[in-house]
Amino acid sequence: MTDSALATNPASAVATSAVAPKLTVRDLHFYYNGFHALKGINMDIPEKKVTAIIGPSGCGKSTLLRIFNRIYAIYPKLEAKGEVVLDGDNILDPSYSMNRLRSKVGMVFQKPVPFPMTIFENVAYGIRHHEKLSKSDMEARVEQALRSAALWDEVKDKLKQNALGLSGGQQQRLCIARAIALKPEVLLLDEPTSALDPIATGRIEQLVEELKSEFTIVIVTHNMQQAARCSDLTAFMYMGELIEFDQTEKIFTKPGKKQTEDYITGRFG
Amino acid sequence: MSSPYLRRRITNALAMVLSTLATLVGLAFLAWILWETLRQGISALDLKLFTKITAYGEDGGLANAMVGSLIINFIGIAIATPIGVLAGTWLAEYADRTKLGESIRFLNDILLSAPSIVMGLFVYTIIVLPTTVLTHGSTTFSGFAGGVALALIALPVIVRTTDEMLRLVPSTLREAALSLGVPQWKLTLQILIRAARSGIITGVLLALARISGETAPLLFTAFGNNYMAINPIEKMSSLPQIIYQYANDPGDSMHALAWAGAFVVTMFVLLLSLGSRLILSRTKVSHD
Repeated sequence: MTDSALATNPASAVATSAVAPKLTVRDLHFYYNGFHALKGINMDIPEKKVTAIIGPSGCGKSTLLRIFNRIYAIYPKLEAKGEVVLDGDNILDPSYSMNRLRSKVGMVFQKPVPFPMTIFENVAYGIRHHEKLSKSDMEARVEQALRSAALWDEVKDKLKQNALGLSGGQQQRLCIARAIALKPEVLLLDEPTSALDPIATGRIEQLVEELKSEFTIVIVTHNMQQAARCSDLTAFMYMGELIEFDQTEKIFTKPGKKQTEDYITGRFG
Repeated sequence: MSSPYLRRRITNALAMVLSTLATLVGLAFLAWILWETLRQGISALDLKLFTKITAYGEDGGLANAMVGSLIINFIGIAIATPIGVLAGTWLAEYADRTKLGESIRFLNDILLSAPSIVMGLFVYTIIVLPTTVLTHGSTTFSGFAGGVALALIALPVIVRTTDEMLRLVPSTLREAALSLGVPQWKLTLQILIRAARSGIITGVLLALARISGETAPLLFTAFGNNYMAINPIEKMSSLPQIIYQYANDPGDSMHALAWAGAFVVTMFVLLLSLGSRLILSRTKVSHD
């Protein structure tokens, strides 16, 4: 318990400098059909930084990410207890509007999942649900999103084509464009490059670097090099607990915990 | 070559030969059926088959039966499709992994294999008898009743394929749409049904193929009519029912007509199956 108590105070330890936390997690527990998957997570995720969550399979990193936009709630028998505060409001409060949450917190998944429609419609679809835009405004908005996702130049001549015809890497950037088109404040990336080749992965990582000036990014990855390359802070999770959360540089050079050191040096058993 | 590899090669060759033989046996029967219906019906396969009605007997054609079949099948599919697609959607999207959903899915599977004559008797009881009583016998058997009986046969097929096709849509697509704040009904109508569209259409076409060969459920419902009937409240003839009737007739020319009818039904079903195959394969290409 003292271990996690130490981990509870990462914000001060990290001294996330002047940046106020965007997301504050307080004593978060999660249960899968009775199985205790997250055991009292506490962390402050700073605004407009890239926070990476690493850890072995089954440690709860994706579970944690999926609580941040309550996407877990679409399945039965899953339960989250504790607080996740976004801009002062607890998003786990049942009265917190799902519509509001999902327009503030965007998500990109492991496998690229474009909708079965045109490239343009893929980006416009989500916007249309939240805002009424004129045709020209919509076009501008879609272009802006595709540009931010570094996809515009590749698709500008085929916006009316089916999105399923794009390559895997392009599809994933389309999914990022789709998420950022809603102008969210937080962007959740759940192992966004695990289905992509190294070149496509490189482009996504570069994109993450560019996007952090606008968004608070939380990325779950099982690739430690990726965390080291593109995050400002890194959280290491193990068996449903947050073991250590600190500046990425510190986690990868002089981690505070033995377990973290074992994991990042590949000695994990 | 060492012995374990030799043994594997022999087993492999054996499995290939056996499965190829099994395929050939199946295909041979299909070709035989097609050939036999064509050979037997060829003397009756002429224009009057499509222009004359059954009232002329051996000098007539099957025009009223073909029109009747089209109308009855259309009624059946028109009733079964919306109900089946909606019910399948409910099963896959709203009741998946619930006790109620599982029970209804199980009941639907039972309905899927229910004997078709039971459907005919059921519709006789719930439609034919009451309309006979209500209209004092002026309306008894009808094309509509036949259509309802066929709808009951097509319904579980459509429910099942819609349910399965929707459950094949990866759950990540649902999560992606919901994470954009899109509500469940929009997700279902605008994304999931679209993603499963070709599979659902195939299911409907297969259901149509299935009901176009049904005879038993029509005997107590549409009954048959030797004259051209367009109005669905009248008794109506259908190809399978005429085939059944003519095959029981002692005359050779009637048998030829029955074979010709059988050939028409078989070709119709074959074309439907080919059509659904085409739809499926075309969408697969566009997914790649």
